[in-house]
Amino acid sequence: MFGQVLATEFMKLHRSKAPWATLAVLAMMPLGIALFMWIVREPGRAAQLGLLGTKANLAGLEAAWPEYFYMLTVIFGIGGMLLLAFIVAYLFGREYSDATAKNMLALPVGRHWFAVAKLFVAAAWWMTLVIIVIVEAVAIGLAMELPGFSAGLAATGIGHVLLAAGISFLLAPVVAWIAVWSRGEVAPIAFSLVMLALGNLFGKTGWAEWFPYSIVPLLVGMVADPVDTLPAGSCAVLAGTFAVGVAGTILQLRFADNAQ
Amino acid sequence: MPDTAISTRALIKRYRGITAVDALDLDVRRGEIYGFLGRNGAGKTTTIRMLLGLIRPSGGEITVLGRRIRPGEATVFSRIGFLVETATSYPNLTVRENLEIQRRLTGSAPRSVADSIGLLRLDPYADRRAGQLSLGNKQRLALARALLHSPELLLLDEPANGFDPAGIVEIRELLRSLADERGVTVFMSSHILAEVAHLADRIGIVHDGRLIEESSRDELAAKARAFAAGAYTPEEREQALLTLDLERYFLARTGEGPHTGEGSRTGDGSKSGDS
Repeated sequence: MFGQVLATEFMKLHRSKAPWATLAVLAMMPLGIALFMWIVREPGRAAQLGLLGTKANLAGLEAAWPEYFYMLTVIFGIGGMLLLAFIVAYLFGREYSDATAKNMLALPVGRHWFAVAKLFVAAAWWMTLVIIVIVEAVAIGLAMELPGFSAGLAATGIGHVLLAAGISFLLAPVVAWIAVWSRGEVAPIAFSLVMLALGNLFGKTGWAEWFPYSIVPLLVGMVADPVDTLPAGSCAVLAGTFAVGVAGTILQLRFADNAQ
Repeated sequence: MPDTAISTRALIKRYRGITAVDALDLDVRRGEIYGFLGRNGAGKTTTIRMLLGLIRPSGGEITVLGRRIRPGEATVFSRIGFLVETATSYPNLTVRENLEIQRRLTGSAPRSVADSIGLLRLDPYADRRAGQLSLGNKQRLALARALLHSPELLLLDEPANGFDPAGIVEIRELLRSLADERGVTVFMSSHILAEVAHLADRIGIVHDGRLIEESSRDELAAKARAFAAGAYTPEEREQALLTLDLERYFLARTGEGPHTGEGSRTGDGSKSGDS
């Protein structure tokens, strides 16, 4: 039965603009970073751009591969949490905004399969975006002839990007739970925005290791010095957040009233 | 096989202190069309949602097709078709794709999609996106989805919503034939007495969440006639007859000859319900 549910969840995306919108947003990011790098590398020509050039110089960045990968990791980690929140809110919340949840939940299919299938679709959607945009980013970096490229550096850089993207996904089921609890798409996105802000705040107060939404900023060095490996406590927090999110979503679908 | 398709005992639903359904005892026999009549807010939709396990009763028991209904348990739903409140579908998918989803999730034969499209006269719209359909055709799509897996029981909440008079007659005949020829039990709610009175074998009237009356259609008609005898002026009777005449004329002009005793379908009858 799971195969049929999964197939129908993919079918629901036919002609949907949402996957293309998320691809467009994420694909813009390497272009933005590349523009930043170009401004840093070409300060004379960038001066013609006014404030943009000044900001780029103030950032003190180098136009090189290590910096490029660092910024990609930030984008996939922090931006990914927000973009994944949109993806998950869309997959779960649209059943309520389109008022199709009542049709879905009275079918001869265990409700947990819908939760699992939608999370599977979210994972596939997110992974597809990540792979496409990593390829795009590397192609842009090579085209710009950024200095400092090596196979080892690329492997490490891409590894960090994938790790940040993976951690972002572990937070997605909680967003799904908020979507089915609130029966819509707005609350889960608002929740994610608030959590991102709190993540930044908790990170700066030294609780980054223990607060799920601070762990990606901790990993990429946004709230402290970057860490090479995640602390064991952070791994446990992430695993727990994922498990609570999945269980909460399934229990909400199964036992809560669905009076749309 | 029990003779009862739906049975509720002391069924209660309360929302934050408001009692939407109050100690409802209901017995719907297999193969009958049961009209569940009540004003807006009487508790009709809440009852249907509880029958489908979409909301949890605050008290009481529900048995459908011989099985106790508990929210989240899906076993009996392969034998039930339903339409709850508004007709909804995935707007980015075509009629055919929406039905294909239903087919896969009910384990029905591939042929069932085309059959249900034909049954509800949706052929001209089969490859049109659901979001582009008129209200009447959205309702047809919802009914096609309800019927796709050949259910034994149909739970229909205001099934005539969005239909023009010709469409209402067509759906009425379809439901009658399903009950008579295939033995399908139909439980339909409505706030329009005329709609229920034309179709239902038995009628239950619900008010403030309680079943205040239950009788056969003929019994209810007799009671209504006795109650209203002498209540109308000749002008009011003339007005009522005029309304019927106008509806009959409209149906004839729009190609619904078989229901009017004159003419025949013009071939563009499928336009009924389309905007």
